[in-house]
Amino acid sequence: MWATNLRIVALVLGTLGLYTLIANEIPQVQSEVPQTLALGADVTPEQLVAAGERVFTGAGGCTACHGLGTRAPNLLTDEKGTGLIGERCGKREPGKSCKQYLYESLDNPNASVVPGYEPIMPAVTRQLPPAQVWAVIAFLESQGGSVDVTASDIPAQTPGLTPGASPGSAGGGALAGGSTDPMTLFRVGGCVGCHKLGAEGGAVGPDLSRIGARQTASQIRVSILDPDARITPGFENFKGIMPKTFGDQLTAAQLEALVRFLAARR
Amino acid sequence: MADGALLLQAVVDSLPAYREFPAIGSRAAVWIAAEVHLMFAAFVLGVPLFAVVAEAIGIFNKEDRYDRLAKEFTRLLLVAYSATAIWGVVLTFFLLTLYPRFFRYLSAIFGPSMWLYVGLFFLESFTLYLYYYGWERWKQGRAKWAHWSLGILLNVWGTIVMFIANSWLTYMMSPPRDVAPATDPTTIKVWHAIANATWMPINVHRLIANVVFGGAIVAAYASYRFLAARSDEERAHYDWMGYVGNFIAISALIVLPFAGYWLGREIYEYDESMGITMMGGFMSWLWVIQAFLIAVLFLAGNYYLWVGMERIPGAERFRPYTKWLLAILVVGAIVWGTPHTMIATSKEIAAMGGSHHPFLGVLGVMSAKNTAVNLMILTTFLSFLMYRRANKRPVVPWARTGTQIQAAMFIVAAAVVLFYGIRGYFVEAIVRIGYSVYQVLAVLACIVGVTVIDVMLGRGAVSRGDIQWGKMPPRSQYALFILAVTFTWLMGLMGFARSGIRQHWHVWQVMRDTSTSAATPALGYAAEMISVCVLIFLALVAFVFWLGGLAEKPTFVQTEATGGVHVGH
Repeated sequence: MWATNLRIVALVLGTLGLYTLIANEIPQVQSEVPQTLALGADVTPEQLVAAGERVFTGAGGCTACHGLGTRAPNLLTDEKGTGLIGERCGKREPGKSCKQYLYESLDNPNASVVPGYEPIMPAVTRQLPPAQVWAVIAFLESQGGSVDVTASDIPAQTPGLTPGASPGSAGGGALAGGSTDPMTLFRVGGCVGCHKLGAEGGAVGPDLSRIGARQTASQIRVSILDPDARITPGFENFKGIMPKTFGDQLTAAQLEALVRFLAARR
Repeated sequence: MADGALLLQAVVDSLPAYREFPAIGSRAAVWIAAEVHLMFAAFVLGVPLFAVVAEAIGIFNKEDRYDRLAKEFTRLLLVAYSATAIWGVVLTFFLLTLYPRFFRYLSAIFGPSMWLYVGLFFLESFTLYLYYYGWERWKQGRAKWAHWSLGILLNVWGTIVMFIANSWLTYMMSPPRDVAPATDPTTIKVWHAIANATWMPINVHRLIANVVFGGAIVAAYASYRFLAARSDEERAHYDWMGYVGNFIAISALIVLPFAGYWLGREIYEYDESMGITMMGGFMSWLWVIQAFLIAVLFLAGNYYLWVGMERIPGAERFRPYTKWLLAILVVGAIVWGTPHTMIATSKEIAAMGGSHHPFLGVLGVMSAKNTAVNLMILTTFLSFLMYRRANKRPVVPWARTGTQIQAAMFIVAAAVVLFYGIRGYFVEAIVRIGYSVYQVLAVLACIVGVTVIDVMLGRGAVSRGDIQWGKMPPRSQYALFILAVTFTWLMGLMGFARSGIRQHWHVWQVMRDTSTSAATPALGYAAEMISVCVLIFLALVAFVFWLGGLAEKPTFVQTEATGGVHVGH
């Protein structure tokens, strides 16, 4: 019986080993997390193009369809005699510059589908931050054309803001996806767990329903950023409970929106 | 007291989003807990499905061996059930402690369904106990029917429990479109979150896959018992049990791809980028591995049938055909596994000499792959038909005509599959996709039509000799083990595909994964994780089955397995 048991164990291990080996022998592709692109006001076209190429071949996932010749038009090689994308983009739609056409293709791909292809492309602007979208446009323009994307095309963005950051995100992104709605921040930031505001909230920390009558905007700001700097009388036992991380989690715009909102509660 | 509760709440609210698990990391810990729990859950949901079917056959045909088979299935279920619950608890605790904010987010939406889940779990458990422990007490007359109804009820509870759990994971894949990152989870209606785009396709897909999985594990159990048997009677019983388990697994497997197509279509309709990631993006190589695994399933399943025919008198007349069937399966597997549109760097494309391989690229397209897999299904069905017909001599006057009609059905189905496969090369993609429906319909029509005729042909058939149950060479039983391991591994792989297409999102485009393990790993790492999970599962299954064996002797039928004329299966 031991021989049978050993044969079964060897068979199972051999089968698992074979499958694992085969899966390790094929090309290994990991899906990376899109990184926030820091592009300053003095960014050069070359820097934009280089950044766009990294997005195009990496996190953007563009090469899954573009360049294979079956699912979507070739962008980096000739497309049915019309040239590279940088050469043809300005001629695709009358009245639209190359830059406008490419942005439309990334923002609303189904607006003008190239004949012979299916409308399968997702809206890239939903998935990538604006800086990456414009970097990709610069890269595509550079394929046979001239680059006219500049830093002024990229909407002002708070440093560290990652579009789509969720209520559960920790670090690397703003709370509530960058929302500046104070009630959303109050709930998503977890303030509601301890502080009462109107009809909702807990009683671990001071009631904030009329906080504006007791504290100035400046004091409220300090209390959010450094909660233990001044403890409200009666709450000494809860010192140290409030997180000191809101300075990292909130953007400047969010912090100010929250401070203004609370200061107005009189 | 109230202050204490509030303090606790405050602590919970200030929890970090993630915690690290020692040595292997949080992602690996949750991966293992979820996967092993899912494997046990699939087993305990799949087995009751055919336990009630086997019991019903026993009742209607008055065949006691089916009743005993159903009871033995249920005994396996009993011991596996507690393991399912334990791993479920492990998963919950891991999520609570390692991904606290994410779990809090999910529970804020699905809290009521989680309470319902727990309640149904109780009902399911006690129904199972009644079903198993009442087996001998409620064995006759109306009581037997009541007992069978308990089996149905057990399936009803189990199915609802699975549907509820499926809603949580499908919400992560396809949250309703009106849910945004800033949406307060407490404002999302539970039913709105449950009835998301991929919920029902996953429900159906898992329901069928559970039957496949349960059948494969039962067959492996039977094969072990067969190899360990000390008497011919015992060997005969477990030979028959292995056959039934494998038959159920392969039969359900044939239907499974259709449920998979539906799920894939829903994913594409929900979000094209998710579909493209799945089929053409970084996961494209996964489907080549899947093709290889399914080829192993087809080959091992057919091999088991061919070897099994050696113990059936009359089967020798079919033996010359098996080499041709094998050839079709091998060629079909090679075509199906041919890569085509892969995510590749510009250097790789240049090295290949273009976007596709100059010769193999032609075989890698869907026209060729669909043709290959449909022909493989037809071939497997033909193997099964030969197995079924092996010891029968039809006596109905139209027997010859009936057989000719069956042959014609096979030829027409194969011709339709080939015609649309070739024509697919000359039409637009959107037209080509529609062709796969015609191919599938032709195969299904053939399977249904041929089966109906075969059942009618078998009426009053004369036996060419009894099936020599137990006279199987051991190598056939090892084929059943390969099937079970491959099914389990494939389940882990498909789980990775389903979960991995969310990439760096806990909830697709709503809640971002900002942990250190947010990047979705490559297939090599995933394969190692899957193998570890399969190994843990199989080791535990072997242990719980051994425990079950200690408590009660297996129930095999002595008289019917060795004596009496039995035509068919």
